[in-house]
Amino acid sequence: MKFIQQTLTKVIYRHVCLILALLVYSLNAYAQDSEINVTGTVIDNEGYPLAGASLVIEGTTRGTVTDSDGNFTLDILPGTVLQVSFISFESKQVLINENTNLPLRITMVHDVLTLNETVIVAVGYGTMRRGDLTGSIASVSGDKLREGVITSTEQILQGRIAGLSVVQGGGDPTKGASLRLRGGTSLTASSDPLVVVDGIPGVDINTIHPSDVVSVDVLKDASAAAIYGSRGANGVIIVTTNREVKGKAVNYSGSISIGQAANQLDLLSANQWRARVRDENIVSAVDYGGNTNWQEELLRTSITQSHNVAFSNIGEDSGFRASINYMDNQGVIERSNLERIGASLSAFQKGLNNKLRLEVGLTTNYDQWHPLRSETVAGTGNERYTMFERIYNLNPTVPVYDSEGKFTRVAGTLVDNPVEINNNRSAKDKRNRLLAYAKTELELLPGLTSTTNLSFGLNSHKSNQYLPSYAVMGGESENGWAQKTLAESTYKQIESFVTYDHTYDVHRINLLGGYSFLENFYEGFGAHNRNFDSDFFKYHRLQAGQGLRSGDVYSYKSANRLVSFFGRANYSYDGKYMATATLRRDGSSRFGANEKWGLFPSGSLAWRISGENFMDATSAWLENLKLRLGYGVTGNQDAVPSYRSLATYDAGNIKYYDATSQTWVFAFSPSQNANPDLKWESTEQINIGLDFALFRRVTGVVEVYQKTTKDLLYNYQVPATQYPVDRLLANVGELSNKGIELTLNAAILRNRSLTWDVDFTLAHNQLTIEKLSNDTYQTDDVPAGNLHGLPGLSGIYSQVLKEGQTIGTFVDGTGNILGDAQPDLNLSLNMYFSYRNFDASLATYGMLGQKVLNATAMVLSGSERFPSQNVLKNYFDLPQDVSSTEVSDYWVEDASFLRLQSVTLGYTLPALGDWFERARVYVTGENLFVLTNYSGIDPEINYTGLDHPGIDMLNYYPRPRALTFGVNLTF
Amino acid sequence: MKSKIYIAGFVVLLMAVSCTNLDETLYDTIETKDFGKNPVEVERMVGAAYSYLRGFQDEDGLNCFPTSELVYFLNLTTSDEACIPTRGSDWFDGGRYQRAQRHEWQTTDAPILSAWKYAYHGITRINAIMFEVSLTELEESTKETIYSELRGLRAYYYYLLLDWFGNVPIITEFGQENVPNSSRLEVFDFVESELLDVKGDLYDGVAYGRFSQNVAHTLLARLYVNAEVFTGTQRWQDCIDMCERVIGYSLEPNYFTSFLTENQVSNEIIFAIPYDHNEQTVGNFMNSMSLHYNQNQAYPGPFQWSANGMSAQPGVYSKFDENDVRRNAMKEGPQFIYGTSNLIQTPDGDLVYTEEISNFENAKQYEGVRLYKYEVRDDEQWERDHDFVVMRYAEVLMMQAECYVRLGYPESARPFITQVRERAGLEVPQDITLAFLDNEYLKEFLFEGIRRNVNIRFGTWFEPWWEKGSTPQYRGIFPIPQAELELNPNLTQNPEY
Repeated sequence: MKFIQQTLTKVIYRHVCLILALLVYSLNAYAQDSEINVTGTVIDNEGYPLAGASLVIEGTTRGTVTDSDGNFTLDILPGTVLQVSFISFESKQVLINENTNLPLRITMVHDVLTLNETVIVAVGYGTMRRGDLTGSIASVSGDKLREGVITSTEQILQGRIAGLSVVQGGGDPTKGASLRLRGGTSLTASSDPLVVVDGIPGVDINTIHPSDVVSVDVLKDASAAAIYGSRGANGVIIVTTNREVKGKAVNYSGSISIGQAANQLDLLSANQWRARVRDENIVSAVDYGGNTNWQEELLRTSITQSHNVAFSNIGEDSGFRASINYMDNQGVIERSNLERIGASLSAFQKGLNNKLRLEVGLTTNYDQWHPLRSETVAGTGNERYTMFERIYNLNPTVPVYDSEGKFTRVAGTLVDNPVEINNNRSAKDKRNRLLAYAKTELELLPGLTSTTNLSFGLNSHKSNQYLPSYAVMGGESENGWAQKTLAESTYKQIESFVTYDHTYDVHRINLLGGYSFLENFYEGFGAHNRNFDSDFFKYHRLQAGQGLRSGDVYSYKSANRLVSFFGRANYSYDGKYMATATLRRDGSSRFGANEKWGLFPSGSLAWRISGENFMDATSAWLENLKLRLGYGVTGNQDAVPSYRSLATYDAGNIKYYDATSQTWVFAFSPSQNANPDLKWESTEQINIGLDFALFRRVTGVVEVYQKTTKDLLYNYQVPATQYPVDRLLANVGELSNKGIELTLNAAILRNRSLTWDVDFTLAHNQLTIEKLSNDTYQTDDVPAGNLHGLPGLSGIYSQVLKEGQTIGTFVDGTGNILGDAQPDLNLSLNMYFSYRNFDASLATYGMLGQKVLNATAMVLSGSERFPSQNVLKNYFDLPQDVSSTEVSDYWVEDASFLRLQSVTLGYTLPALGDWFERARVYVTGENLFVLTNYSGIDPEINYTGLDHPGIDMLNYYPRPRALTFGVNLTF
Repeated sequence: MKSKIYIAGFVVLLMAVSCTNLDETLYDTIETKDFGKNPVEVERMVGAAYSYLRGFQDEDGLNCFPTSELVYFLNLTTSDEACIPTRGSDWFDGGRYQRAQRHEWQTTDAPILSAWKYAYHGITRINAIMFEVSLTELEESTKETIYSELRGLRAYYYYLLLDWFGNVPIITEFGQENVPNSSRLEVFDFVESELLDVKGDLYDGVAYGRFSQNVAHTLLARLYVNAEVFTGTQRWQDCIDMCERVIGYSLEPNYFTSFLTENQVSNEIIFAIPYDHNEQTVGNFMNSMSLHYNQNQAYPGPFQWSANGMSAQPGVYSKFDENDVRRNAMKEGPQFIYGTSNLIQTPDGDLVYTEEISNFENAKQYEGVRLYKYEVRDDEQWERDHDFVVMRYAEVLMMQAECYVRLGYPESARPFITQVRERAGLEVPQDITLAFLDNEYLKEFLFEGIRRNVNIRFGTWFEPWWEKGSTPQYRGIFPIPQAELELNPNLTQNPEY
């Protein structure tokens, strides 16, 4: 800072007349006359030269990179500091003055993992050094996040954090992954963790572009998450984006990927079908004369590209960063894609003698995509793709096109031409996400800082669809059907808090007190019409339809508010004993009149055993040993939808025939029972953790936890005799999650130019439904896993919700338990290599012990299928005693798997003259193989939620296997 | 320092003025307590009672519709006029329709729960509406008139419960908890006294789809004609008296006028549940449940796929005289692709509906004659637009005829029978016997939902028929659904279940 000021003063004095030029040219050009030429070599501690090491003059962005012999040359002002850095080595500062011996010989030392202890970790409303933590917080830095095709930002966390399961149930580019931290805590509500982006809670993670993420911290236990009170029960994911990197930089990153479906179902080809018909002498079989592989007809080689440009200039007292990105993500099914354009801008300025810091930011992105056609399954409310069932049903002898070149249509049920289905509909969905914030930080007294953070978020989803007049489905046509909908959610949030930091002798305290106010709005409208005389207008002119019915036009709006007061105290004694206590009080408009406010306390302790004198003997190899113990209560307020505690009337929903006027009129009718006791679901968690660091090579964490969620919400059946509506949302049940997690980070090799790091995580979680009933509300074993809508399986339930069992417990028709959909173990193994300018990484993850009901195979084994519909090749081998319409252990398969998610090979080019400072090119192979005994397309089936955990529902969008070529350039 | 104090003050202020109001702000739904402030709002609340007649789908996806669910799956399959055979894996549904056919239903069978829920859904909603009306500022006399119509409608649901379950809780006020069963006799007395009490306040003309005096009289006549079954006491003369008070209706010259899409034109319909899919009515898809999947090929327009379920029980079709116009309420024989003489195909062969069903547990797709009573248009949707006929004048005539025969005056029955038979294109036989009337009920009201009631009244219910052995006496009523027993500890299961 001082340096810049001095230089500036000097420059301005000397070149007053050239101030204009100063704005155009870089500052350094005018300081050359007193610089000295420094030459030297960078070597490692074994004396080998390091090629590609970066040298930067401190306080500037000027610098160079060593050549293949480790040599460099640079003009430097005497008295300045040269920063030398190289991947996996500790950075080094070298003071250059007139007396420096030239050429320089700079020896770099491999970094060691224990440095972790000084890493800054986001803890919610502030940061702490990792060494001072008392709660369970896992972190992953941006360079270790997933590379390759990212369709949804949460995927970068896949297989990175012990206890955080990221499940991608297929390859649809428009669908995100589901996140679960330490098991689910709710039956009816979302179990998604709270996402906090740069201090703003509740942000849609997809607002953020993956390349903008610098680090992710996951608050796993209640003592860490309790500061988020009724929003923290599912854990908290804190994302920090690229905003605080000092200096001036321009960065481009881009990639192009080629993908194909990694697997398909093994169905009969036309000739295999014919051979079978001939062998069995089935005279009634109809051969349509074609030769069609219906899966191939809809699959394609997808080409995905992504480009991101970011530039920033960040100094001591002001700075900005801007980025723009574009992505076109094709799916492996024809026509399915997602395009995204996003931009982010943020700037800060300091004032009041550096005591005030103002920051504003705006991040927005715009998606548009073609959704594959899907239908709501009657009676279950679940969405299913329309095409897959037909792809598998259609006889392979049916040609795609008939002799007139039109799509072939075959009479029958669920045998509509899937190519026609995929092609004849116009559909476009558009989504806009926006996050705007203004942040003020004011240092009131030394150590006492007040922060106010105002934020606004928007998520607006438009959807358009048109089915032309010639589209026929199951013999039914609406003679043109058009729809337009808009759903928009917005929030306004004020967060205001004061922090106080003080260190006195060996005592360190940190205090926090704050207030937060959040208001959410959800609104939307939609309209559809049918019977169009011309297909020209598509969904652009709904009024041209002639078939408007009651209920074709609708709108809605709801709102809720959350008010919170929170505080936290940290105390650390000599870096050896640490204690944290937090308290949060939340009030929500959604809670019932009797339960408006909830209190969420937590406390935790940590003891750095390795800091004690009696541990001196082991200090040579045991650098760190820390024991942590935490307890806390968090809540899940999102489990309660707006207005659910009130008795309400609905209008515009149902009609009656008014005998007097002889017309149909809308009735007003009760839509909901009142429950003034309705409140959040509350989760108590005990966590014991042990952090360790060994031999300057290995760091690790072992954690054991027990979570108990009480006041579980469930929609209870209430006697029709007392309530106008037959269900009531009430807090009754209880479920528990118990688990153990292991994280190991090892620097296995650190010599010469070769490094080899390994990250390993292992997590076991046992989810149990402890209670579903109390004195007021009872429910028996609840049938779940409804297979309704699958041919031959209507009315069949494959699972049960039952006390003492877990979610997704499979049962057969007589109630025998056949296993469950929850994995026993989640594991991941990631490796990072570097050799000179090359780098390589490998990522694997897996789940063990979970069961999947292969309902796809059940349907495709239906006894009446052959020869009219296509069948799996093993159709004829189905054992005699196995029924395709009854859930049995034959269909409930072990779906344990280990996936080689990605292998990356990269090469970093040394600086190329003035063109760029650093360039890295890489190639990534994704989803290269899966080790599994599961017989379906892919064993990774979503196991979360109540609807269909662990059921392969004839609805699997094939996951791609992709090859990505990418480049990162820094100018 | 001063500026710091100001700023600190500002921060504190910001926290203090921020809102802590946690009342809900409603936009698209209205709290019960804020509704019913003017006569139109009250009218819309009361009108809702009529929309509940169409039934509902509960949150578990259980259909509680009065057309296919109750009439078909419960009243028809358990009677001697229809059946739902299993065809391959279709329509097995855990064996519930096979059990219904064989009178082996279980307390957990879905159709039984549907029936219970349908009736109590209507009753409790009516009780809730009456409670809400009581809170409004309407004149007391106006409220009483509203109550009368609602109580009449409520008595209709209790009549259904009396018929299906016999011993059920009588709930007359909103919010009553865990009410125990009343005896079948008490329920009978309740329905009778409610109807007698309110009928003076009801609309006394002919009004379509409204609970009028005529509807109350017809319902009382039904109550009395079944009084022996319900209570052990015969009330034949009371039935005749009530029938005579049903005024303003006559038989339509064409039998099928009452089953047209626009059947509100029929002068024969006393009470109907109106439907119009353009008004988003849901649950009226009886034909769709019966015709073969590929029957749509017989129509030019985009005709809805059908579900190939319900068929007439073997033996029913051949009971009809060839000249009986009412036989056209069934579809039998070959079905052709529209505009051609090509037979529609099924995986089991040509689509030729046969009266015989070779194997009840695995029938061929084309077996069984199908329901074809209500008009079927060329461009039919899954949800049909005809109104569902609950009571029509022919039933009033038939009840009078039956009561005269029961009282020993068969000749007094003749004028009533003549009207019904002549319209069907048939003569009246020499002797009007109970057996003759039993058959006539079957033919006149085929697939309308009253057959189960007639079977029980005439005693045939307990005798063996196709795919069914003898039925024990206790199965003259259905069991209280298991799910309801678990919700209300004061409920007692019907005897012997």
